[in-house]
Formats: sequence, structure tokens, C-alpha cells
Amino acid sequence: MGKRDIMLLAALFAVGAMLFVFFRFNRAEGARAVVRVSGEEYGSYDLTMDQTVEIHGRDGGTNLLQIQDGKASVTEASCPDLLCVHQGKVSRQGESIICLPNEVVVEITGAMEEVPYDVISG
Amino acid sequence: MAGTVHFPYQYRLRRTALKALVAGMMSACLLSAQFLPGAHVILAKDLPTVSEEIFAMDTYMSISASGEAAREAVDASLEEIRRLDDLWSVGNEDSEVARLNRHESVELSEDTRSILERAIQIGTDTEGAFDITIFPLMQEWGFTTGDYKVPSDKRRSELLRYVDVSALDMDMDGACSLPENVQIDLGGIAKGYTSDRAMEIFEEYGVDGGIVSLGGNVETYRTKADGSAWRVGIRNPDPSVPALLGSELTGIVQASDLAVITSGGYERYFEKDGITYHHILDPGTGMPADSGLISVTIVSRDGCLADALSTSLFVMGKEKALEYWETHSDSFDVILVEEDGKITVTRGLDGIFSSELKYEIYPEG
Repeated sequence: MGKRDIMLLAALFAVGAMLFVFFRFNRAEGARAVVRVSGEEYGSYDLTMDQTVEIHGRDGGTNLLQIQDGKASVTEASCPDLLCVHQGKVSRQGESIICLPNEVVVEITGAMEEVPYDVISG
Repeated sequence: MAGTVHFPYQYRLRRTALKALVAGMMSACLLSAQFLPGAHVILAKDLPTVSEEIFAMDTYMSISASGEAAREAVDASLEEIRRLDDLWSVGNEDSEVARLNRHESVELSEDTRSILERAIQIGTDTEGAFDITIFPLMQEWGFTTGDYKVPSDKRRSELLRYVDVSALDMDMDGACSLPENVQIDLGGIAKGYTSDRAMEIFEEYGVDGGIVSLGGNVETYRTKADGSAWRVGIRNPDPSVPALLGSELTGIVQASDLAVITSGGYERYFEKDGITYHHILDPGTGMPADSGLISVTIVSRDGCLADALSTSLFVMGKEKALEYWETHSDSFDVILVEEDGKITVTRGLDGIFSSELKYEIYPEG
């Protein structure tokens, strides 16, 4: 085996490994918080980008969506019960935060880590 | 990321670099495909799955079905949900329930008659632990409007006088009206009745499988597209309890043609002077039930029963709930979670319930 063959194999492996890491990383970036208001899609936000989004819900109600460290939460809301704020942070595929008064749903899609269930009772 | 990749041997490998890149990409694709989440799901899902969501009955609902007639079945279910909501909403002043609560004489629709009959029958059978005449107290506490307050003891005992399911023992053929001062709320049973109707609609349209979640009240039809049972997670009612710490779920029920309905104080509550008041009122006291249970899940083929029993067994407490199960074990099973995090699961769920947490099967052995 010549020096060039070894180089070729090494290069092959290196490029393969790097692309592999790159693809995997890219998929992690695919995780998003999808927001729907009254059943209609309102927006979709990258979980890897720290950001704050004001959501305008039904009847002028508002919810402040905060994305930080790959997790989404509602930090402020105009609704009386604030159940959406109490729901805390979500980051795994299929998890959601729901605000009934403003008809706002924040759902995590396309995350790497899938939850082991189809639906939650409770 | 690609722009930041540096390749130190590039200049020595000009001729082979391209080949290496191509080969590397191929190997990367092969490696990646193996880990690609959901790849197998795409293969298994050759039939269309249709999902819709709707805000109705004061909650968030999602409806999903697969099979050739899935679209029609889901649309028909949505229409049915709207129709029943219009019949029973206490907020809609034209609804049959709103008219009954104003003590008008009402010619009841078939659905209203049949849900009232179920509500009365379950109310009697649970000796009033389930009671749709609790409505005036729900209103006084503000759980119907979100305008919360703690009623005075005097006001509470005044209103309690009219909480009595046996007062509904009335002839429901033709026009009927509620006894004086009695008002009703079907909130503790309507979603179960409605999910049963969705299952009937799925059956009529011949869908292959389907699932509905009406504000966390889950009912499943047949199986998932790949033929496996639906995996219904049970929400952890209080992840701050040491025995339940760090777990999102209390467990998972593998369900096919079953309703899985959970009641817990976390669903609706408010705080006043450092005390938390939740929405599951004990019809005996008019106060939030303080039975030592923090979550009750009923698993049954009968969604209407499951809905009503999830609140009644919460009110009863563990001992009475298990006694009740003993005499009705052919019609439902139950998962009880206590304040200290102890989980008890009735025998019928052995084999379809799983959990990372410690749990006991009742009765033992």
C-alpha cells in the first residue's frame, strides 16, 4: 500500500466523518417551535436561535414566546389563568404549550429526540 | 458549518481530492441514513393520515385518522364536536343547557337526553361523587369564567343545598325543566361522550385507525398505521414530588379501542394567599377535593364513563376508588397517583401499562 493510498483512505475517512457530523448537526437544527393561532399556522421558529417572539392570538390576546438554549417557553401572556406560562419549557418533538383563551398552540417539531408516546392523557 | 472546515492535506491531494469528496459524501449518506429519525415511519405510512385541531368545549382538541376515508371521517367528527358544543355550552345562551339553567322548559334533543341519563346514572352509582348539579358552586369559585374567588363558608353552604343529582329524577320525554335553584354543567362528561361519538364516526367511515385528544381526554380507534397500539402517555401530575421527580410521564398505556382519561388538579387552578385551589370540587363539601390523590386515569372502552369516573374517583380518594373498582372491574381500570408519588394500577392494566417509575398492581398477587 503506497503512501498515496493511505493518504486517500485517510482523506476519505476524514471527509466522511466531517460530513457525517455536519449532517447530524444540521438535523438538530431542524428542531422548530411551530406556532398556530386558532388552528392556522402563525410562524415557525428555529430552536437553536435564542429569540423572543410576540404572538398575537385570538381577540387581541398576546403571548410572549421565548426560545433559549434550545427550549421554548411562554414567559408572559395576556390570558387570565396564565396556564401557558406555568407549563414551563418544551424542547422535545411532540411537546406543546397551549393557551386556551388566546387559542395559541406552540408545538415542537422535527427534534432529534423523539418522545416515546403518541399523545398525552391529562 | 461547511465553510469553517479546513483540510490540511488538500494541496497534496489535488488529483484525489474530488474522488475522496465524492466517496466521503457517499459514506456520510450511508452513515446518516441509518440514524435518520423517522425513516422507517415514512415507509410504514403508505395511507394518508389526516389531523385537525379545534378549540371547542372550552378546550383544545386534536383529531387524527388514517385510511382512505380519513378526510371525510375527520371532517364529520369536527362537525359533530361543534354540534354537541352548541347543545351543551354553558357560555352559549342558546344552548339547551343554558336554557335549562335559566329554568326554561326545554324540548330536549336526543343527545342531551342521553348524556343526562348517563350523568344521572353515574351520579347515582357513585353516590354523588359525580354530580352535574355542582354548577352553581363551579360558577361561584369562578372556574367557569376564570374570575376566581374563594366563596365564604355561608355562601358555600347555601349553594350546596341545591347540589343533588337525585333532584334530576325527572321525566325527560317532551318538554322538561330543572327544579328551582338547580343548575347543571356537563363539563365532567361531555368530552367523553363526544370522543365516543368520534369513535362511532370513525367506525361508520371505516377508517383504519384514529385517535382523538379532547383537551387531554384521549380515545383511540383500532391501531396506528403500522398496526401497533397507540401509546398514550399519562401526564406526571407533579414533577416536584420526589418519587415522581424528573419524569415527564407517570407511565404509558398501550391502547387500542380504549379511552384513556385523566383528571388532576393541575388542569385548572388558582392561588390565593399562598393556597392553591383546583377545579375538581367535592360535591359533598363544595371545596376542591382533598382526597390525597393528585391524578386519576380511567382506562375504559366507554369514554363517557371514563370521563365521569376520572373526576368521581379523584373525589373519592384511593380507598373508596379501589372499592368502587372492585365492583365495576369489568367496565374500567384505573391508575391512581397519590400526593407522595405512590402509583397504583389495577390488575386489568397489567401488560399494557409501563413506567420508569415504581408502581404497584392492585390487587397484589
